Amino acid sequence: MAPLPCTHCNLTFDESAMITEEHPDQTLHFCCKGCQGVYHLLQEEGLDTFYDKLGETTLQPASPQSEDLEKFDLDGFKQRYIHEDSEGLYEINLIIEGIHCSACVWLNEKVLHKMQGVIEATINYTNNKAKVIWDPEVVALSQIIETIRSIGYNAYPYDPSLQEERATKTRKAYYSRILVAVFGSMNIMWIAIAHYAGYFSGMKQEFKDILNVAEFLLATPVLFYSGWIFFRGAYYGYKNRIINMDTLVSTGAILTYAYSIYAMMSQHGEVYFDSVTMIITFVLVGKYLEVLSKKHAVDRLDTIMGSTPTEVTLVDKGVKSLVSIEHIIVGDIIELKPGEKVVIDGVVTQGGASFDESQLTGENLPTYKTLGDRILSGSLCLDSVVHYEATRDASSSLLSSIVQLLEESITKKPRIEQLANTISGYFSLGILIIALATFVGWYLTTGNFEQALIIAISVVVIACPCALGLATPMATLIGISVSAKRSILFKEATFLETMAKSTLLALDKTGTLTEGKPSVLTHQPLHPYDPNLLYALVATSTHPVSEGIRHYLTQAYTTLEAVPLEQIKSIQAKGVVAYYQGRRILGGNASLMAEYGIPTPSPTDHILFYFAIDDTLIAHFELSDTLRQGAIEMVKAVKALGIKVVMLTGDHKQSANSIAKQVGIGEVYATLLPQEKADIIDHFHQQGEVIVMAGDGINDAIALTKSDIAIAMGGGADVAIAMSDVVVLDEKPHSITDAFRLSKRTYRAIKENLSLSLLYNAIALPLAVMGFVTPLIAALSMSLSSLLVVGNSLRIKLHTKGATDE
Amino acid sequence: MSENIVILMIGVSTFLGALGLIALLWGVKTGQFDDQSKFIDAARYDNEEELRDAVMMEQKKADHKKRREEAIKKRTMPVD
Repeated sequence: MAPLPCTHCNLTFDESAMITEEHPDQTLHFCCKGCQGVYHLLQEEGLDTFYDKLGETTLQPASPQSEDLEKFDLDGFKQRYIHEDSEGLYEINLIIEGIHCSACVWLNEKVLHKMQGVIEATINYTNNKAKVIWDPEVVALSQIIETIRSIGYNAYPYDPSLQEERATKTRKAYYSRILVAVFGSMNIMWIAIAHYAGYFSGMKQEFKDILNVAEFLLATPVLFYSGWIFFRGAYYGYKNRIINMDTLVSTGAILTYAYSIYAMMSQHGEVYFDSVTMIITFVLVGKYLEVLSKKHAVDRLDTIMGSTPTEVTLVDKGVKSLVSIEHIIVGDIIELKPGEKVVIDGVVTQGGASFDESQLTGENLPTYKTLGDRILSGSLCLDSVVHYEATRDASSSLLSSIVQLLEESITKKPRIEQLANTISGYFSLGILIIALATFVGWYLTTGNFEQALIIAISVVVIACPCALGLATPMATLIGISVSAKRSILFKEATFLETMAKSTLLALDKTGTLTEGKPSVLTHQPLHPYDPNLLYALVATSTHPVSEGIRHYLTQAYTTLEAVPLEQIKSIQAKGVVAYYQGRRILGGNASLMAEYGIPTPSPTDHILFYFAIDDTLIAHFELSDTLRQGAIEMVKAVKALGIKVVMLTGDHKQSANSIAKQVGIGEVYATLLPQEKADIIDHFHQQGEVIVMAGDGINDAIALTKSDIAIAMGGGADVAIAMSDVVVLDEKPHSITDAFRLSKRTYRAIKENLSLSLLYNAIALPLAVMGFVTPLIAALSMSLSSLLVVGNSLRIKLHTKGATDE
Repeated sequence: MSENIVILMIGVSTFLGALGLIALLWGVKTGQFDDQSKFIDAARYDNEEELRDAVMMEQKKADHKKRREEAIKKRTMPVD
């Protein structure tokens, strides 16, 4: 049978597995009830042009949403997310889940627009965020969310006031400034061409005046509007007694501008309005690139907070009620149902259940919690109902403190002072002193004020930070593009520099050094058995160990068929029991075997899985988290670069040590909670280390933001990727080594560039001081020095993969 | 070639360019470039139906305003 695409979501399935509908003119195939429902809904609403717009794009199959809708109309929810305007309209910001293409955006907007009472609905396709304004007297939010769900998408609320607004505003301001700068410099460019042509072929003063005035008019807004950022930077620098790049750029630009106005008025000498705009434009574009990256981090953070419940079930003397989490006080008893996320820390008082704590520890194996055990917010209740006593209120619970810490650290990331900034600081100071000395010297020897002033200004102009300003951006730009080709994404240019200076690499275990899922190491059959039976048993469970066994079986045997089992019962944190043709089949850990009185061999360092039929042990499997390929080589290579390597993990000591031993890491910190990981990073900071941290989970997120450079593995949690400075897309440990090498190579190029431009200044400055610099020499030498810097930066491209140059 | 011609040429071309720049700046300010992906697709969905949709939304806003004004009027009217 041929695989067919589902009429709604376009995913292909085998025909036999699909729901088929016969219509007079066509036959429809659906992969599931959800897709079928959505299709008919759209047909009825007359929105079927959606499928023409969709084209070949595949969607997620529409699955019915089980989460209750009531919470959207509760008071606590309203206070938190809904904003009421003066017209009495409600406004909310949502993140829409399941948007794949522009047709999805179109459909969602269309459906919302059609709803009675919805006044405005706009969806941003780039980040899937939506703004909805509605009339609360006509329609309730729960109805709006229900509508979005009914067409196969889901929506979470988020609070945009935190950071998004600020980030967007800065970005827009920069963008407008760049537009003005580019417009000004492009126009001045072609006027300057006429100018230079006139210089060589001879031009009447009247024409020169016209060109001068035109350049003046264009340069003025560029200097004062676009260049405002540098004046502000220079002013703050002045207040804090720091001379920085901004000081040099703004004094250079202002002096050149003033001199050009003087030349324009007095009608002798040349104007340099073109260099004024060029300096501003180039350096501004460089700064803009740095601003760009922050936004993504904020988008992801909103997703985490949006998916946490705002209400919990409070049990008070046997009466259950939904209560807003802000109203929970220490000592309240809370009921937790399967599938619910914990938002308040506490201690179990009744029942027991498995919890997925992967968000906190990074470990995929669920842990079983029973009476007296601590429950941490951020974990997920998996299989049964539990009552627990709150030990903290909502705001001091672990999850909210994680989010809070993340918010803080996005804005307060430690940065190493940039090399170019330090050098250019001294440089600017030196130039200003030399220019002043030149002026005084010429004035005293010749007594000609005007000549002395012109020569002093020409010193500043020739020392124009063109080459110096280009030194860092050019090298980092090429460094970034070379690493992007090797699937290493540096989010900001300066990270290359910081990484090159790093002294310590902190690695997460699960997901970074290891695959993050257990796989079978050894398989010891004690008696011959039918693998189909075991296959059927492990297929009933989604526990990572079962999946590891299943994966192993499908690789070891070509033909497997799940036999029908009866009375399947999974026992929390122990295993699965089932019956097949009257025989009892057991699969699980040692405590399950002990419960049924089956003796097991002594435990090892690894995870053990036993398989028994009736009362005999049939086989046992040893499982372990496997190392990623190349992890050992990576640790070795990074150590060879002179960088200390440590391991931070939420896993228990035993398995942490065994992995560390295999890859050759001496320093190991185990059983860490997210905050503790961050504390260790802080501790290293105090010792003066520059830290690179590589991780993949939410549990690493705080530590990632605390470290100087955060590397995320591409397959990790969204939030880890968002918090990181460097993303390794191919998830290969080898790429971490590559990132180190490339950053060191780029840093070397930056240093070379800086020396080149300083050398240029060392030659050109004395000439300027002596008054030998004509406009021609100035123009030629400026471009030459910039070309040298660009050429040197291009050499980074020659850096070959795996090369060990330092 | 007289000076006036040069002034005119530079003046007119710079002015036209500046108009374009101002339009662009206005676009940035009103958020028309906030969503790159949607911006590119806009042409595909630009038809009569979308226009009707926009009119419908305007109508809804106007309706709401009217209802609200009436409600306020009712409330502020003397009760006698």
